[in-house]
Amino acid sequence: MALRLLTTSSAGAPGKDSPLAGKRMGMVIDVGKCQPDCDKCIKACQQENNVVQAAAHKNHELAVHWIRKVTIRKKIETDEKAKKAEAAQKSVILVCNHCDNPPCAQVCPVRATFKREDGIVLVDHHRCIGCRYCMIACPYNARYFNFEDVEVHEEDLNKDRPKRSHGVAESCTLCAHRLDAVDQDGNPSPRVPACVEACENGALAVGDMNDKTSTVYELLRDYAVKRLKEDLGTEPKVHYIGL
Amino acid sequence: MEIKFERVEGTSFQYRVALLVFGGFALVGLLSTLWVMKYGIGRTGMTNRVPWGLQIVMAVYYIGLSAGSLVISGLYGVFGKLEYKPFARIAVYLATLFLIAGLLSILTDQGRLDRVFVQPFVHFNLQSMFSINPILYNGHILICLIYLWALFTERKRTTTVVATLAFGWAFCVHSGTGAIFGFGARVLYESPLLPASFVAAAMASGTALMIVMIVGLFRATNRPLDDELICWLGRFLAICVLVVFYFLFVENAYRFYVVELREAAHYFLFGGFHSLLFWIGLIFFGLVVPMCILFNPRTGKSIPWIVLASSLVIFGVLCERYVIVVPGLTNPPDLFPGMEIVHDPALVEGYATYSISTQEVLQALGVLGVVGFLFLLGLKYLELLPTEARIHPD
Repeated sequence: MALRLLTTSSAGAPGKDSPLAGKRMGMVIDVGKCQPDCDKCIKACQQENNVVQAAAHKNHELAVHWIRKVTIRKKIETDEKAKKAEAAQKSVILVCNHCDNPPCAQVCPVRATFKREDGIVLVDHHRCIGCRYCMIACPYNARYFNFEDVEVHEEDLNKDRPKRSHGVAESCTLCAHRLDAVDQDGNPSPRVPACVEACENGALAVGDMNDKTSTVYELLRDYAVKRLKEDLGTEPKVHYIGL
Repeated sequence: MEIKFERVEGTSFQYRVALLVFGGFALVGLLSTLWVMKYGIGRTGMTNRVPWGLQIVMAVYYIGLSAGSLVISGLYGVFGKLEYKPFARIAVYLATLFLIAGLLSILTDQGRLDRVFVQPFVHFNLQSMFSINPILYNGHILICLIYLWALFTERKRTTTVVATLAFGWAFCVHSGTGAIFGFGARVLYESPLLPASFVAAAMASGTALMIVMIVGLFRATNRPLDDELICWLGRFLAICVLVVFYFLFVENAYRFYVVELREAAHYFLFGGFHSLLFWIGLIFFGLVVPMCILFNPRTGKSIPWIVLASSLVIFGVLCERYVIVVPGLTNPPDLFPGMEIVHDPALVEGYATYSISTQEVLQALGVLGVVGFLFLLGLKYLELLPTEARIHPD
């Protein structure tokens, strides 16, 4: 079935009849279900959003990672033996937190970074002037900059998504294009983000936190969740179970 | 006696060499900027962890240097100290040039320079300091141009009004520059003191620059200059330096006192190359030594010593701008309190590093070249320099 994608226009409130009205998109990540050696979600994101080559930049400090996995453990500061002991390690997926009070959108001088009505934070790549103030303002290191053009093979590209554009900032879009998908008749036909689709362990869930039938709503209801740097007041919408 | 202003001839060997050197810098800077635009900012030392580097350091530094006009315009235009009228034209002209330099530094740092001249005006965001500050900078340039016109046409009443406006507007300019960082989420940025601290450092560096420029220009063109005029500016500079020292002390003492900021404070003061710049470049050479010189009854009245102290302050404030911008970015955000990241295949975790690249140095030199070139042209084609500067103008 051929899909037509709604374009996500920049800024502005579409109004109460908008399909985005009343929604509040969020993500739940179950740290306990995330397998340390698995990177399916990362690869799926890179393929879906044409980030493969940018992520493989030979200088990893310039590489673009819309989603990344880190390994964390409790700080052990006693003696050497304790430091070397197998402390419980956890794999944590890090993405843009799509904050309700996004500092990145607040500081963008051209409103290229904006929060949609459904709470997804996006970047208009055609408007971004590359000042990188959003990267400074983001307290989560979740934003990346396309420092230079990367060589891409056309056959590797997902033709439904744009290529990387040098000189602009960007971050995870929560696969808004998938969430906004419509069928040939124009009826909503949303798909889950690529990372959620790829995860075989059920560690990731994305959905409308206001929708009582959504998986995200149920997870938030049933589990004690944590958010990163909650004290800052950014109101991130990525929640962690078992962190 | 009416103060007379004149142009320099601009035919001397030194003038022509200086013009050539600054013109060369400007050309090299332009080429470097074009090269970075073509190949991407990745060819500089900036990274995803440290997305701002030398260009932003120089931008805030040049804007701070423009504050010299704040001092002179305040002395002459607002407080009516006629003995400083001879320096007003030079001060305002230099302020204009350094504001242009600050804007040039910011412009050449953008990822998409092709969009910068349209998007910020069409899609304005009053919540962003990057939207508010260009209004302040461009407004200040406009005020300085009107100020220059009033000075050149000897309109006393207009001069007083514009000088007062420039005085107040400059406070907003430097406070706004400080707010870019101070109103931010980074641990080493966030500080309500930063706007005020920026004003103090701007006044210190601006006054120091004016002292060096005035003494240098008057000596180079054999113009009479009463020492007491410079001595008074030196005393004023000493107070500015003391205020900067005070702000730095309070800021760092606060970070050390508050438990949650202690680790960041330790990193700032002892954690890297920036710490050397802080202690040696800024505190010792930029503040302590100048204060010792300027507060000493003997050296504080000696023009060569005052010029030395001023030069050290100019250097020290450059170090200060660097340690404001870079360590705030190399210090990592603490995403997991009580935990540590043992492996991150994607991003550099822990303390990041930043190395100034050749391209950035050339771009910074290029902006300096534009300022120097335009300044020399101004000396030749505008009546900027007074024939003399006396402590008791009749």
